[in-house]
Amino acid sequence: MISLTTVRMELAPEERAQATFEVAGGDFGGKLMVTRRTGRAVRAALEEALTDLPKGGTLYVDTRGVELMDYSFADEALGILASRVASGEYGERHLVLVEEDRDLLENVEASLMQRSLAMIRVDEVGAEPGIVGKVPEHLADTLQAIYDAGSITNTALAAKLGLNNTACNNRATRLAKLGLIHRKTETAAPGGRQYAYERIA
Amino acid sequence: MKTQLELNVSGRGAMSGVLTMGSLDPAFSAATGIRGEPVVVDLRTVEFVEPAGLCGLAALLEFLCGRCEDVSLTLPGRDVPAYLERMNFFRIFGDRIGTNADVESLEERRRHNPGTLQELINFHTEEEIPGIIRRISEILENQGYRLRERVAICSTLSEVCANAAEHGISSFGAYAAVQAYHHIVSGSRRRGEEVLIAIADGGVGVRETLSRNPKYAEETATDNEALRHALEMGVSGTGELGRGGGLALVAGIAARSGGSLSLRSGAGRVTVYESRKNSRNVPQFPGTFVRVSLPRTPAEKDTKTDAP
Repeated sequence: MISLTTVRMELAPEERAQATFEVAGGDFGGKLMVTRRTGRAVRAALEEALTDLPKGGTLYVDTRGVELMDYSFADEALGILASRVASGEYGERHLVLVEEDRDLLENVEASLMQRSLAMIRVDEVGAEPGIVGKVPEHLADTLQAIYDAGSITNTALAAKLGLNNTACNNRATRLAKLGLIHRKTETAAPGGRQYAYERIA
Repeated sequence: MKTQLELNVSGRGAMSGVLTMGSLDPAFSAATGIRGEPVVVDLRTVEFVEPAGLCGLAALLEFLCGRCEDVSLTLPGRDVPAYLERMNFFRIFGDRIGTNADVESLEERRRHNPGTLQELINFHTEEEIPGIIRRISEILENQGYRLRERVAICSTLSEVCANAAEHGISSFGAYAAVQAYHHIVSGSRRRGEEVLIAIADGGVGVRETLSRNPKYAEETATDNEALRHALEMGVSGTGELGRGGGLALVAGIAARSGGSLSLRSGAGRVTVYESRKNSRNVPQFPGTFVRVSLPRTPAEKDTKTDAP
């Protein structure tokens, strides 16, 4: 953990808030998640949990207790939610799926693929992140570099990837818009401002 | 004088005596000509009813009940009436149709058939589906079905029922039934186990639904083209992003398991197998009908040590 008592607050990566939502724990259908109707109810609860988070926060959506999730449910609860996160509807708040690599992911993946979206997935909170859905080929290296660094400025990232600052910024902005990284503005000495990127899980 | 509707029940081969969806074709054709006169459906050549035949029969009777007041069934022997009773058929139709079978004595002899995973059920809305899925999932779990099998059966049932509830809006809603067999029923009889899922609705049909999306004008020239298109990922009547994935995915599950998904609507029928899709022109069906075959694989094939 990085101490918050460093000299300049704005340069210290603040601890971003996080919350976990257990999908099987609610009154939605327990282990069996089917139909768009159920998906809408779960999405409404997820939206509430997401908007309750301070800006920059990450909501971990834990579906590990779910036995069955049909495509209709997955698209309604997660696909539409991911598309709204990507369109900036919830400000800078992020979604991470907590799920092991199993058959159930196929429907989530199919929905995200249909929507040309992706989500960060972890086996458990704190575990190494992976991707569900599709990230465009040319963004994969950029995403990996940001996750390897944890937090990195645009200049440093550009240098690492051998890109110019603008190209690097374009790629990272695209990743931020997909909801896969957190982007913030840092004050860079002297007097300049630049983007820095952080992993969300 | 009653109009008698004949069936086309095969007298030979693997499907001999089986009431399938196809055996109802002549009755559906004749039913469109019924104008209020009393009608009787003759099931005396039937020895065995599969879920598809049961749901098809339910759809036929609904169609007839909407056109005339006096509808009756002529049933053979004891086995078929007993099966229909176990499948809740007389609970749904008992007070609307006449029959030669002694339904009361059947009720007394009623016993549970372990192969029945879902009796004939009538539903109208999406809201009813999670309850249907919870119940069948519990039955499957109690009978030792593995998680992967339960997921395949339940997601097939939920997706197809959801389509029926959404697009199949009609006076009678939709019917579904699921039955497990200790031998392979579809195609030539051979060793193995098979689960059959059938769902029939009386809605406008696939071609009409897809035609609402102007983008699909070219793909909806015939019923079979519309059915083939509906089985593609992301094809839906509304055209909204994310829609139209359920049917394509469950067809994939059935095909990969060595089974099949058959989609019938209007004058078309498309069946999806692992390596091919068959289209066939068939007599008009007033609604949409889906039959899914899911063979059960032996448990040892599921272990992680499985050699490639």
